[in-house]
This record gives sequence, structure tokens and C-alpha cells, in this order.
Amino acid sequence: MIDFLQNTIDGVMTGASYALLALGFTLIFGVMRRLNLSYGPSIMVGAYLGTLAHLHLAAGPLGVAAVTVAGAVLAGLYVERLCFAPMAAGAGIAAMVSSFAIWMQLEQAAILVLPRHTYPFPPLASATAWLGPFLLRLDQLIMLASALVLALGVQALLYGTRFGLALRAIIGNPTAAHLVGIDVRRATVLAFALASAVGGVAGFLVLASDAQVTPMFGMWATMKGLIAMMIGGLGSIPGALVGGLLLGVVEAQSQWYLGPQLRDLAAYVLLFACLVWRPGGLFGAAPVRDLARGRSL
Amino acid sequence: MLDVADLVTAYGKIEALKGVSLRVESGRITCLLGPNGAGKTTLMMTIAGILQPRRGTVRLDGQELTGLTPARIVAQGVALVPENRLVFPQMSVHENLLAGAYQRRGRGEIASDVERMYARFPRLQERRAQLAGTLSGGEQQMLAVARALMSRPRVLLMDEPSLGLAPLVVAEIFRIVGELNRDGTTIFLVEQNAHMALQVAHHFYLMEQGRVTFSGTPGELAEDEVVQRAYLGARRAAG
Ligand SMILES: Nc1ncnc2c1ncn2[C@@H]1O[C@H](COP(=O)(O)OP(=O)(O)O)[C@@H](O)[C@H]1O
Ligand SMILES: [Mg+2]
Repeated sequence: MIDFLQNTIDGVMTGASYALLALGFTLIFGVMRRLNLSYGPSIMVGAYLGTLAHLHLAAGPLGVAAVTVAGAVLAGLYVERLCFAPMAAGAGIAAMVSSFAIWMQLEQAAILVLPRHTYPFPPLASATAWLGPFLLRLDQLIMLASALVLALGVQALLYGTRFGLALRAIIGNPTAAHLVGIDVRRATVLAFALASAVGGVAGFLVLASDAQVTPMFGMWATMKGLIAMMIGGLGSIPGALVGGLLLGVVEAQSQWYLGPQLRDLAAYVLLFACLVWRPGGLFGAAPVRDLARGRSL
Repeated sequence: MLDVADLVTAYGKIEALKGVSLRVESGRITCLLGPNGAGKTTLMMTIAGILQPRRGTVRLDGQELTGLTPARIVAQGVALVPENRLVFPQMSVHENLLAGAYQRRGRGEIASDVERMYARFPRLQERRAQLAGTLSGGEQQMLAVARALMSRPRVLLMDEPSLGLAPLVVAEIFRIVGELNRDGTTIFLVEQNAHMALQVAHHFYLMEQGRVTFSGTPGELAEDEVVQRAYLGARRAAG
């Protein structure tokens, strides 16, 4: 029982990072109805810039965090400009394929600049504490708090501000959003920047807790964010949070009880079960509803 | 007021508008008739800036609209009630109206305009907190009209507002169109329901295969043999 609860705690902590990754993913998907496979790699670019600042400028955790987030935003805007802005409405597949190509490009660029496989990343806080029989890590608590605060913040932005109204209008019907006078292009770019910043925070927290970064981080972030988003429901913010936490807990339990080899398999089984049971994800609308919304233009 | 000159809009290689010229007079209801596929929606979307024309111009009181973004065109005073209404389904009725005032500042004025919309469309007031996607077709149409009016347009474009609605609801929509016009709104209306349109519109255009093939008053329209056979006669026989 103690093991099960400790696994659950560990899973929630790891899941918080998945939730943050899914949050950025879901923002982009909600607004654009397009999958950005380069989401993780653009976060990795930010992380590599953070590492460079750490290695050459001796930047501390906060400085590295700022560089990582700023780098992720810049790389995200680069991806948007190349893969999403030029694509005509309805060219979602072309956008996704080109975001895959940019993924490869960003990964190679990172390897050119920092050719070793691993580089150190400054840890944020390595303190641990016992809560009764349970072990808690401070950096993971920060991760969980960040996930909750950012999810609430994004939700408040969407439902409490004029910019949020614009984003929800675009999510509801892009043509109608144009027709009420929303600058759809500008709002979309801002949403992309916001999503990249959330991803940058996620990336920084994960890497600070690992204390190292590798070029594989991009793929890892895309995979975890994508799976968590699909479990929770494409475009749903509560879904991103719940999907991320659920994925983390299932991984932690299966790692403990089934072994590390079966951990990833368990994640895919979870995803598969969710999609069979609720094809739109736990919090998502059934996909057919989107067809009825008249998105042809 | 609104001048369309030699407008050509194409989807790929296919020209849906093949040089359309027409004029919407200030303070009036101008109606565009035409069969399915004639290019009416394409014209509306081009005026609103959603589609870019290959050639030709759209002017509002002499000011060029061609090439502006849809948002800038709204700012110039043109609002389109699109075909199929396109309300924001996951937003409440109230939020849809606020979205309609997206470019305006001044919360007080916006709030009083919202109240004015509720006075004109009491059904919307009853359902102000309801998600727009759950409204009936007629209610969604009224919401789409009210949302467009929230930008305080100088010209209101309406693309087949009666599409798919029951006869009583259609009559209600046309009553509102007439009322809005009497209150001073210039209206450019696309319709297939020629009988209803004849009761409210001051000027008619007929469009077929991307070209304007008729322009005239309601009297001239009713007398035109081709129009009569194609629209009025067919409608009478059908309904
Ligand atoms: N998105 C589109 N892509 C390609 N062709 C289109 C598109 N929309 C309309 N068309 C074509 O353009 C022509 C005019 O269509 P439309 O403007 O919708 O006519 P109407 O509104 O008068 O029924 C039709 O032949 C139609 O098939
Ligand atoms: Mg049409």
C-alpha cells in the first residue's frame, strides 16, 4: 500500500510535467486544429540555449530558465512561420509533415552546436523531505505547483480576457472570428508564443530535475505531450492537466509493478483504452462535432 | 454606398465570379437573387475580405476595401451575417454578442447595445446564458444577425438568412430585416426566396454562373419573364 501511494505521488509529480507539455500542445491544437510535431524540439532548442548560457556565462537556474523559455518561444515562432503560417486552410496534413521536417532540422542544429550526447543542466532545488513514510522532492513539488498555476492561468486568460475571447472565437469558428473583426493571424501567433512559453517552462523544470539534457529531449517532449493531450482530449485545458497526471501515475505504477520495459507499453495501452472508450479524449468533444461546425473556409 | 466593380474571384482555376459589378444604395435593402452555385456566397466572402479577388474593386463610400484584412473591413463598417450563421457554438449567447463588438472600446456603450439587441430579439435574452450551439436554427440566425449588428455596421450583408428555416421563422427574419432598414441600416441581402424578398427589398440583382444578369426594381423583377419563370413561377409551383 505504501509502495502504491509512493508510486502515485511520484507519478503525479512526473505527470505534472506531462500536463505542462500537453497544455502547450492543446493550446496550439485548439486554435489551429493542427498538430505541431516540432513542439518538443523547439523546447529542446530553448533548453540547449539555456545549457549554453549555463556553460559559457555561468548562468544560474533562474537565468537558465529565462533563456530556455525565451529560446523555446523564438524557436516556436520560427516553426509557426515555416510550417503553419504559409499553409492554406485545410492543409493540416502538409503543416504536420513540414513540422516533422523542421523537427529533424532543429535536432541536427542542436547537435551541430553541442555535439556531445549529454550536457549538464543546472538543478533547481535538490532538497527532499519525508512526509510520514513518503519521500517528496522539492523540485517536483515546484513542477506540480507550476502545472496547476499555469493551467489555471491559461484558463483564466481564455475565459476572462479579450484576448481569450478572441482565441475561443477562433477555436469555435475561424471564419466567423474573421467576420467579427478579430485579427486571426495575430491572435494565432500570440497563442503559439504562449504555448511555446508554457512548453519552455515545462522543459526547464523537467531538465532541471534530471540535471542533464540530450538531443532526445525533443522527441520525448513531443511524445509525452501528445499522448497526455490525446488522453485528456484535444484542445481541452482540464483535459491536458488530467491526461498528464493520469499518464504519469500509470507509468509510475507500471514501472514499479511490471518493470521499466513495460512502462511505455502501459502508456500506450492507457491511450488506446481512452481512445476506444472516449474517442475525443476524456474531456474532448466527439470528433464528429467539429465536422458540423462548418470549418471548410 | 457600396460599389462593386468588375470583381473576379476564383477557386484555383475556376472563376466563381466572372466580373461582377453592382451597387448598394445607402439606406436601402438591395437583394441579390440567384440559383445555387451562382457565386452569391463567393461575392459576400470577397466583399468581407475572407476571399481575395483576382481583379476588380470593392469600395465603401469611395474608400477602397479590396486588399484589406477582414478585421479592417469590419472596422470600415461592413458586417457579414454568413451563410449557415456560423455562431460560436461553445460560447454563450451573451459572449457571442460581445465577440461581435470585438473591435469596439467602451464597455458601457457595448453593454447598452447588448441590451438593445435583447430588446429587439427577446428570444436571445431568454437564452443569454445558453451555449449558442444548442439554439434552434432560427435562434442561431437571430444571434448571427445581432452579433453582426454589435459592430455597428454601416452596411449589413446577409447571406441567405432564411436558409433551412421554417416558414414562420423566415417571416420573422424578414420582418426584422425590414425593421432594421427602417431604423436606418443599409442592407445587402442574398436570397433564394424571391417571394419574401419582393416584400422588403428596394432593388434587385440576379446572378447566374458568376455574372449579374438582371438589375431592376421590384416591379421590373416581377415583370421580367425569365425571372418569373425561374424564380417566382417555380416557387409558386413548388410551394
Ligand atoms: N471552397 C470552394 N472551393 C472550390 N469551389 C468552390 C468553393 N466554394 C464555392 N465553390 C464553387 O464556386 C461556385 C459558386 O459558389 P457559391 O459562391 O457558394 O454559390 P452560391 O452561394 O450562389 O450558391 C460554385 O460552382 C461552387 O461549386
Ligand atoms: Mg451560398
